[in-house]
Amino acid sequence: MLRYAFRLHRWGMIGYAAVIAITTYLQGAAYVQAAGATAASRAAFGRSMSALAAQIPYLLPPPRRLDTLSGYVGWRAYGVLALVVAAWAVAAATGAVRGDEERQLVDTWLASGVSRARLVLARLAAFGAASLIAAVVGGAFAWLGSAAVDPLAAGPLAAQTLLLWLFTLAGFALCFLAAQLVATTRGAQMAGAGLLFVLYLLVVLDRTHAPLAQLAWLSPFKWYEVSDPLVPGGRVDAAGVLLTAAVIIGATALSALAFARRDLRASLFARPAPATAREREGSPSPLLSWPVARLLYRERLVLLGWALIMTLMAAFMVSIARSVVDSVASVPALRAFLVRGGGDPYQGFIGGFWFGTAQLLLAGFAVHLVSTWGADDTEGILAAELSAPRHRWAILAERAVAAVLGVALLVAVGSLVTAASAAASGTGLDATAVFQASWLLVPFALTFAAVGAVADAEWPRAVVGLLGGLAFASFMVFELSPLMGWPSWVTNLSVFQLYGSPLLTGINWNGLWAMVAIVVVGFGAAAVLMQRREVAG
Amino acid sequence: MTSAIRTDGLTKDYGAGHGLFDLDLDVAEGEVFGYLGPNGAGKTTTIRLLMDLARPTRGSAAIFGLDCQSRSVDVKRHVGHVPGELPQFGPLRGRDVVAYLGSMGGGVDQAYVRELAGRLELDLGRRFREYSTGNKKKLALVVAFMHRPRLLILDEPTSGLDPLNQQQFYAMVREAREGGATVFLSSHVLSEVQHVCTRVGIIRAGRLVQVASLEDLHEIRMHRVEIEFDGAVPLDRIRAADGVADVVAEDHRVHCVVRGRFEPLLDAIAGSVVVNLSSHEPSLEELFLVHYADAEPEAAASPC
Repeated sequence: MLRYAFRLHRWGMIGYAAVIAITTYLQGAAYVQAAGATAASRAAFGRSMSALAAQIPYLLPPPRRLDTLSGYVGWRAYGVLALVVAAWAVAAATGAVRGDEERQLVDTWLASGVSRARLVLARLAAFGAASLIAAVVGGAFAWLGSAAVDPLAAGPLAAQTLLLWLFTLAGFALCFLAAQLVATTRGAQMAGAGLLFVLYLLVVLDRTHAPLAQLAWLSPFKWYEVSDPLVPGGRVDAAGVLLTAAVIIGATALSALAFARRDLRASLFARPAPATAREREGSPSPLLSWPVARLLYRERLVLLGWALIMTLMAAFMVSIARSVVDSVASVPALRAFLVRGGGDPYQGFIGGFWFGTAQLLLAGFAVHLVSTWGADDTEGILAAELSAPRHRWAILAERAVAAVLGVALLVAVGSLVTAASAAASGTGLDATAVFQASWLLVPFALTFAAVGAVADAEWPRAVVGLLGGLAFASFMVFELSPLMGWPSWVTNLSVFQLYGSPLLTGINWNGLWAMVAIVVVGFGAAAVLMQRREVAG
Repeated sequence: MTSAIRTDGLTKDYGAGHGLFDLDLDVAEGEVFGYLGPNGAGKTTTIRLLMDLARPTRGSAAIFGLDCQSRSVDVKRHVGHVPGELPQFGPLRGRDVVAYLGSMGGGVDQAYVRELAGRLELDLGRRFREYSTGNKKKLALVVAFMHRPRLLILDEPTSGLDPLNQQQFYAMVREAREGGATVFLSSHVLSEVQHVCTRVGIIRAGRLVQVASLEDLHEIRMHRVEIEFDGAVPLDRIRAADGVADVVAEDHRVHCVVRGRFEPLLDAIAGSVVVNLSSHEPSLEELFLVHYADAEPEAAASPC
């Protein structure tokens, strides 16, 4: 069973190992390009980045010794990776508890005589093995990335690798426990993500509000970042490591207890079924009878969640723009970054940080939409739809229109909150530029959706991994191209580059037409492939 | 009479001998046609080809004279379909699934939906993921019947249904037929197709081996019988009875196989004291192994 459980994690392991490896390698390799080769330039770089880091505590831990490669990799790579592996922990634990139960794998295992406690331990062990491999691969690539300049010392790197692994495992154990409390896959995703978000929030509060520092010690994020073995003179915090280990053991034990007391496919605190007479009298939502609306109705909770995140992020980032810009404007390198294109530095900050975040959120939404298309195929819903008198191209067209409306809705929410927050905080923004930057996000997100539609027609089971990988690669190309000096044709492969920086430098018309072309050709090709393909179910 | 379903050399070759080969089939309008075969014989592949979910390697299929591939949308205006693998609608309630799929077929008569759900004792207010396998199958039946289609294509529709609901389903099939509908029903249970069908196509290893009437089925059908006597066993009379074979006696107990009708066996044991008699139908695969033991599927095929 352990081998099979490990097999279930293999695609996650491969994907996240790649993400971790690329992150650690590129941050190490990019250091010299960004910081220069002399002690003086590195010291200046360290001061600039520290000033910037102090303003974005919600994203990165406090930096230490950014004038050294090891300090930079520890902060820029391993600091961000805490959020990356937290997302993996949520997905893996959800799949291991609710996904396997919905697919009735757990029924089969239990029927074969495996005890519930053993099942929980096996799932933890399998994920532990997968996450250890991913962390070790990441460590190896961190060393390779730094090897040409200033190779990272093996001992501290091994310690950092183990810290990342322990943190990942703790996240998994906590999400595994949270998944016992709800009855569905979506509920488990929300419970796990919500729990880790709250724990992360404690650390953010610790970074920004000193009186709340003690609260942060409730969070594995704190236990992870309190150690800094890569930094010259750094250390591994024994208390942090022990607390992390204790959470892994404690959450696993509690999960085993909860699992032993609940029914399969039910919450630990299952409620009695609702009064069926009342339920029987209800009517279906009229939205389910309308083309496009029925697809949006099925995704209404996801849309609501994404809109909420867009609202919170836009409000937060726009509201801090003034104070952040005022405090970092004295650093020449940062000021040059914020006023590139001859614009206003506040607008530069909002363009770089909020619209950069909005791009990531909308790319994530596009990946989610495509995942539902793939799921419709593999779960037989597409076959059921095609049993009705519907043209195959009509299904594609309905999906495309629903994607346009869903993305447009989120963009509208984001742009309204941006405008309202800017007005409330007294940050002057060019309304036309905000409008353009906002609505350009629609073709940006649809570009991913169109590529996903093509991939879904050919590989519905692998579409999420493929599109997620493409989005990540696209982001990394955009981020690293300036640092690495890659040629423009490579940079232009990134969808993020095609979007450009409309708030600062106006519309990138070539990029816009390229995105429109990808959307039209992508959905067109998907319609052709849909017409020719066979359907599962 | 017009053909409801017609296939000409319909083939779907998955390689390694798997798939469906050279299917020539003609189902008349108004028939209840049973499509009988063991697991993996090609029943679902046939239905997927008829529904244009899979594409043929060669050959063609038509429903009411409309090509299943090039006119698939028109075809489906006339078809209600129960798939073998039920779609997973997760959090949607039963009534939401009906509304969702019903809207794609041009809307539904809610009163008729409620009537169907009531007959099958299906609570449409529950979420799909809360349904048992049997309830999921009932929902699929409601969705298939709700448009009052001219043709029902049903892939093992009774698997998962309890006996009472099976009877209700048989009644629905009879009513559909009385209303002029054609029914194409796949099954691996011989007694089931005998119960509701007017004609039966038998498929094995991807090839149609026989299209039989109900009378023909009696010859194919067999039962394994065990009889326990109190006192003398009329062994000679049992061995001499028509349709009785493989007779084995142990003390006061006799095992035998009965093909066709039971009367000869019952006549043979009349006058003896029987304390126990049990009969069971062998699996279709077992039955086919006996009936078609000497015939390769190709050789056994007969014109339809």
